[in-house]
Amino acid sequence: MGKKKGFQLSESQLGYLMVLPALVLIAAVTLWPVAQSFWNSMFDYRLNDPTRNQTTLSYQIDLETYANNYFYIDRDLSSLEDEAEGTDLQPIVMQVRQDIDTYHEELTTLPEVQEQYEIVDEMVMNFEPVNDRDLRYSHLDNDFAEGYIDLLEDAQDTFTDSIAEIGDGDLESSLSQATATLASVDRSLIRPNFIGLTNYGKYLTDARMWSAMWNTVFFTVVSVFFELTIGLAVALVINRAFIGRGAVRAAVLIPWAIPTAVSAMMWNYLYDGQSGVVAHYFEQLGLISDASVLLSTGSGAMFSIILADVWKTMPYMALLLLAGLQTIPESLYEAAEVDGANKMQQFINVTLPMLKSAILVALLFRTLDAFRVFDLIYVLTGGGPANSTESISVYAYQVLFAQSNFGEGSVLSVIVFLAVALISIVFIKLIGSDLFDGKTGKN
Amino acid sequence: MRKRAGASFYIFLSLFIFVIMFPFLWVFLTSIKPTIEIFGGFNWFTSNPTFQSYENAINTRPLFLYMWNSIAISSLTTIIAISVASLAAYSVTRLPIKFKGTILGIVLAAAMFPQIAIISPIFNLIQGLGLRNSYMGLVIPYITISLPLAIWILATFFKKIPFELEESAKLDGATPFQTFRKIIFPLAAPGVFTTAILVFIAAWNEYLFALTINSDDNWRTVPVGLSMYQSQYTIPWGDITAATVIVTIPIVIIVLLFQRRIVAGLTSGSVKE
Repeated sequence: MGKKKGFQLSESQLGYLMVLPALVLIAAVTLWPVAQSFWNSMFDYRLNDPTRNQTTLSYQIDLETYANNYFYIDRDLSSLEDEAEGTDLQPIVMQVRQDIDTYHEELTTLPEVQEQYEIVDEMVMNFEPVNDRDLRYSHLDNDFAEGYIDLLEDAQDTFTDSIAEIGDGDLESSLSQATATLASVDRSLIRPNFIGLTNYGKYLTDARMWSAMWNTVFFTVVSVFFELTIGLAVALVINRAFIGRGAVRAAVLIPWAIPTAVSAMMWNYLYDGQSGVVAHYFEQLGLISDASVLLSTGSGAMFSIILADVWKTMPYMALLLLAGLQTIPESLYEAAEVDGANKMQQFINVTLPMLKSAILVALLFRTLDAFRVFDLIYVLTGGGPANSTESISVYAYQVLFAQSNFGEGSVLSVIVFLAVALISIVFIKLIGSDLFDGKTGKN
Repeated sequence: MRKRAGASFYIFLSLFIFVIMFPFLWVFLTSIKPTIEIFGGFNWFTSNPTFQSYENAINTRPLFLYMWNSIAISSLTTIIAISVASLAAYSVTRLPIKFKGTILGIVLAAAMFPQIAIISPIFNLIQGLGLRNSYMGLVIPYITISLPLAIWILATFFKKIPFELEESAKLDGATPFQTFRKIIFPLAAPGVFTTAILVFIAAWNEYLFALTINSDDNWRTVPVGLSMYQSQYTIPWGDITAATVIVTIPIVIIVLLFQRRIVAGLTSGSVKE
């Protein structure tokens, strides 16, 4: 663009070029991952299970397990055929053996499988483990895989039924041996893990999900309420000329600026049943029956979390509201006074309407922050005692990373996302176009 | 300012500051107590101040490494976010492009996205790129937090720069890019600096991504590292309070130095002027 001779972009072309990197990055690290969370939530997708650690709509085959067990199939079915000599079973076993041979033949000559299978088979023969995922697993055509699975399952069913009918000891053991081998081969054919909305059904009826949702809503409403009312009261009181504004500003900013996890650790210490000074003074003042209840009972722990959150963000709220208060022209109060309005009427008729947009914007961002609460609860109580302070984000984290269940965990992620979207829409409707004022250029 | 401050006001003010600062005060007082006093009694001041807890805090875990990791990751995040965001914010506020409302809407929506909703795909992405336990492994996800924040605040600051300056630069034959670099950027520098501080603090404080992506102790950031001081059986409050004091010092310095700017940045989005 700086080059003199090069072609010149028009202002608007340049404008689009300048927003492009930001939009691409936002799409790549925010929008695309959310879409993926939606997608993942419809799969039985677990990181700790090698047959389900990817989302897939098609069948796969675990070649190592397959090669390992196919080796025995021929042997087991041959001996079963010998045992069943002269009975009704013999032609059935022969048919099964032929069909499996046909499928096996087709499988090992599939262009995408053949070479891979030869390598894996060779390794299995030499008792080498196949650790390379790409080598071990291969995709299969859905029709082929379904046909093979049907065959294996029908054969298992037939054999199991026969076991019940036949009293002969040798034949019976051959039958169960063959059934077990068929089941092992069957297991090496991995079904697609798409399960639709099953995960949603599970979590929408899950008591722990609803209790986590209730904890989150309770925490959000109560802590944001106190942050707003106390913050507004503080802002009204300190909205005057006084000495030491710098000290107040610093005192207000430091709790806001330190990491939530660090403040959670601090409060963990202050609330501690044995050494915690806050717990100790609360007990002395008779506010709580025993110093240990702050962290060891459900209601105590919820109170503790809310207090720690109010401590951290109320000053910040006061700061935002103070800035709003300072933009209200003095003349409005003078006019109200001339009209005979008392302090309360001035507050309701002048201050609140003038502050409305500042309050709503502050409320929007605080509500969203509170609803997403994770680090405060995770560090301070870990969701305990007995999940009584578990927020929906903490629950989602536990399912995603402690249980390595990305499918079910994504359902909880999506629920948080939808709730946040709903809250945002409600607030933005209330705030209206004020949110974008002063940002979009000349007006 | 119509009200005057009286004595009762200053009493209220002192009480307010005391309540807000009390946790820090108590944590500091604990950090210089000998262990035996921490677990026995609630005396405010110790008669035998000691730095033993500080020594333990540094020796039991790589605290300074955590701080270095945090500084590196937060700085990289800030540089990337500010460079990309200042272009976007400039374009949205000052260039004749369409869909400004839509673009700002997307930015605002991205700022509201809950991190838990994107953590598992981001985890897969970082894992797939082989970037777990590295600086970039956290810088990439931190774009989700820092970029919308930076665009949002910068847009407010850029909007305040008088348009006349730009017009006269244009008359003198400057290209839009030159105008941006020579006129707007120097004038917007205070706003850019403010935004940079806020982005830096936001990256410094992030917990969820840092916890899941950089799980190796040598790559942990301050918030995660500090939260790992509690062991299964005992809670070494002395070490924890000492470590808290150490990691809080940089933030306190930043706040004391730049408090006016931080307040200007925080209030820019919510107050109409």
